[in-house]
Amino acid sequence: MVEFLQFLVPGILIGGVYALLASGLGLIFGVMRVVNFAQADFMMLAMYLSWALFAGGVGLDPFLAVPAVFVLFLVLGMAVHWLFIRFVIGKRENHDAQVILTIGLGLIFQNLILIRYSSEPRVVAPSYANAGDFIGDIFISRVRLYAFLLSVLVAALLFLFLNRSRTGRAIRAASENWEAATYMGIDIDRTNRIAFGVGVALTAVGGSALVTFQSITPFVGFRFVVVMFAAVVLGGLGSVSGAFVGGVLIGIIQSVSQVWTSAAVKNVWVFALFLLILYVRPNGLFGKVQRAI
Amino acid sequence: MLEISDLCAGYGGVPALRSIDFRVGPREHVAILGPNGAGKTTLLKTISGTVEADSGSILFDGQDLLSQAPHRRVETGIVHVPQGRMIFASMTVSDNLRLGSHRRGARDRHDERRELVLEIFPALADMLGRDGGALSGGQQQMLAVARGVMACPRLLMLDEPSMGLAPRAADDIFEGIARLLKSETTAMIVVEQRAHEALEVCDRAYVLESAEVALEATSRELLADETLAATYLGSGA
Repeated sequence: MVEFLQFLVPGILIGGVYALLASGLGLIFGVMRVVNFAQADFMMLAMYLSWALFAGGVGLDPFLAVPAVFVLFLVLGMAVHWLFIRFVIGKRENHDAQVILTIGLGLIFQNLILIRYSSEPRVVAPSYANAGDFIGDIFISRVRLYAFLLSVLVAALLFLFLNRSRTGRAIRAASENWEAATYMGIDIDRTNRIAFGVGVALTAVGGSALVTFQSITPFVGFRFVVVMFAAVVLGGLGSVSGAFVGGVLIGIIQSVSQVWTSAAVKNVWVFALFLLILYVRPNGLFGKVQRAI
Repeated sequence: MLEISDLCAGYGGVPALRSIDFRVGPREHVAILGPNGAGKTTLLKTISGTVEADSGSILFDGQDLLSQAPHRRVETGIVHVPQGRMIFASMTVSDNLRLGSHRRGARDRHDERRELVLEIFPALADMLGRDGGALSGGQQQMLAVARGVMACPRLLMLDEPSMGLAPRAADDIFEGIARLLKSETTAMIVVEQRAHEALEVCDRAYVLESAEVALEATSRELLADETLAATYLGSGA
């Protein structure tokens, strides 16, 4: 039992971060039906920013840098929407253009970082990087606990934004029925732009939460992109809370499976469950969308 | 108030509106009648902007509408209650109403408008916390009209408010609309298959046929003239 808990607790902690990463992807898909293949590379950019702020003389703690990362990536996301994404939204035949555009953006981000910082792995190690506390027999890593708490806090703020604010309600309305939302006087281009910015910023904050225990390379996105997409599909396309639950679930499975099998095959268990759930519930746990891409 | 002249629109080269002249005066209630596919819905959508016009002009209070983005037209007070209701099914009735008063000109009047729509459609008062998708068809239509009224319309456009409803539910909708028009000075356009119900609340009517205006008459003329009624209002006349 203790051994099980020793794997379950870290699984929940990392799952919270997966959930945050995936909620950004899920929000963007849910609102404008764009599959953003560059999402994990926005995360990578945010990780480099956190590293630069920490190692580059300022010495800013990555957790304290989160508000700045959020604001910067909100603006970056809105700019990318305004410059590129808005031109490939809406019509069905635009799906190819969306895929090519977002994959292309991701490649450009990766290679710009490669040119500037090389492929050498970077590490952010604050003084408490290896600290932790025992609760009973279970060791809880300080940085992972902080990352988890940050994810929960951001998720709560996202929930409040979407459900309680005028803009959040408008975003939900536009995602459910853009034509009806237009008749309410909602500017769809604006809600899309804000949703894209918020979605990018959520994943960026997830990246900031990761840097204290995940080394950074220009291609670190590949390690997380599969998890992010699996979480979104598992939770149900179009549902932000579903993406969140999916992320936590994947973290738990990855970790708990190590009670019985090697860490090398942890994603095998993830995809076994993934297939099982989609077999029983083809639209995911909280799915709204019948037809994806 | 609304002046449409020589308006043409179409879908992929197939004309849906041909040279339409159409007018609504201040506080006037106008019905648009005609068979399916005549262009009635397209006309409303061209006014609210979700269908683009090919040529012609639409003036609202003398201002050119066609050059404005659809969501900006709502700000002028043109409120469209679309065919098929299009309520936000995953959101509560309360949130649906709140979205109705999203436009700048209606925000500060949310509470007062909400009282008004609950007087018009008392059935909604018990449903405020329920998801829109959980309502019956008739209740959803009430919600769709109520949501439009929340926006403080100066020109309210109702597209087939009785579509798909049982006769009793349709009666409830028309009674609600009649109650609304007692207390409101809004102008109104109603697209309807139930011509008689529509003419009862309207001053004037246009009959559209194959993308053109086939007839323009006052409601009284249409109801009184048996030939006209038989030709344009169907066998029930």
